[in-house]
Amino acid sequence: MSSRTLEQDVCADTRATWQKLLERIPYARRLGLAIHQSGTGMEVHLPYRDALIGNIMLPALHGGAIGGLIEITARVAAQSRDAQARRPRILDCNVDYLRSARARPTYAAAEIFRQGRRTALVHVSCWQDRASTPVAHGRVQLLFETAPGGKIREEQ
Amino acid sequence: MAGTGNLADHDPVAVARQFGEQVPHSSDLGMEVLAMEADQVRMRLEPGPALHADDAAEELCTSVLYSLVDSACGLAVFAALRELKPIATLDLRMDYLRPAGSERALVATARCHHLTDDVAFVRCEVSSEEEDGPVAIGNATFMRGTQSKRVATKASRGDTV
Repeated sequence: MSSRTLEQDVCADTRATWQKLLERIPYARRLGLAIHQSGTGMEVHLPYRDALIGNIMLPALHGGAIGGLIEITARVAAQSRDAQARRPRILDCNVDYLRSARARPTYAAAEIFRQGRRTALVHVSCWQDRASTPVAHGRVQLLFETAPGGKIREEQ
Repeated sequence: MAGTGNLADHDPVAVARQFGEQVPHSSDLGMEVLAMEADQVRMRLEPGPALHADDAAEELCTSVLYSLVDSACGLAVFAALRELKPIATLDLRMDYLRPAGSERALVATARCHHLTDDVAFVRCEVSSEEEDGPVAIGNATFMRGTQSKRVATKASRGDTV
């Protein structure tokens, strides 16, 4: 087995992990999100549907559809990196809209800026045509609750 | 914040509701406009299993709150402008204070607290229906007049940046 194949196997495992984490989020299923593997890592894809439109004149995707893509991408990225795969709670999310998102598929990739025992800081970039011309950029803070009896369940 | 703009000539709630229902994403998630007055808008979202945060948690996904806040904030700008002029979200920040239980509807109250010639600043609180205290707070900034043809009507106020 060549090292390239080994690398692909590792990536496949990561993709499977991300997909599994995504599939247990009912709202992610509602949005139709799916994990794709790119040359640089995992991507979350938001397929286009008419029900995602927020501005029928342009037309443009609803800011909330982009916000949801960003939040869920951050959550799956942070959870996939946690040793116990605990489900993080999103504390805050800040999205900058850079250009209007058209009636097309949208892609998101996460960059973990900090992953600690209790919190994670994840930046997410969203694009449609090219990753170099993002439609939105998000910054998400997540909390891994450690105290027993906390409100956040740890299912795994 | 008196004024007789286009929206005030009609029943503003009816206009807002009609406009809100034309937004596919808002209607897809089941949002409804409860009230619209001066610079404030109140919207409601009925919970459903497809909006949950996790298969194993009786909790609404934060992204549902995000969409509700984005919609309510946009409508609050229209309420303050008294016109359905094009606007674009510059940024939106959400603080999720505590999980939103999936058994209760969400109610969002958005208020455009400052308006300049170019920008609208909006704050929105989300609470679970019949519960005290917000579950989330959003702050949004919108650009005004984002499409090239600016409608010729005069702004009814003289705010400057």
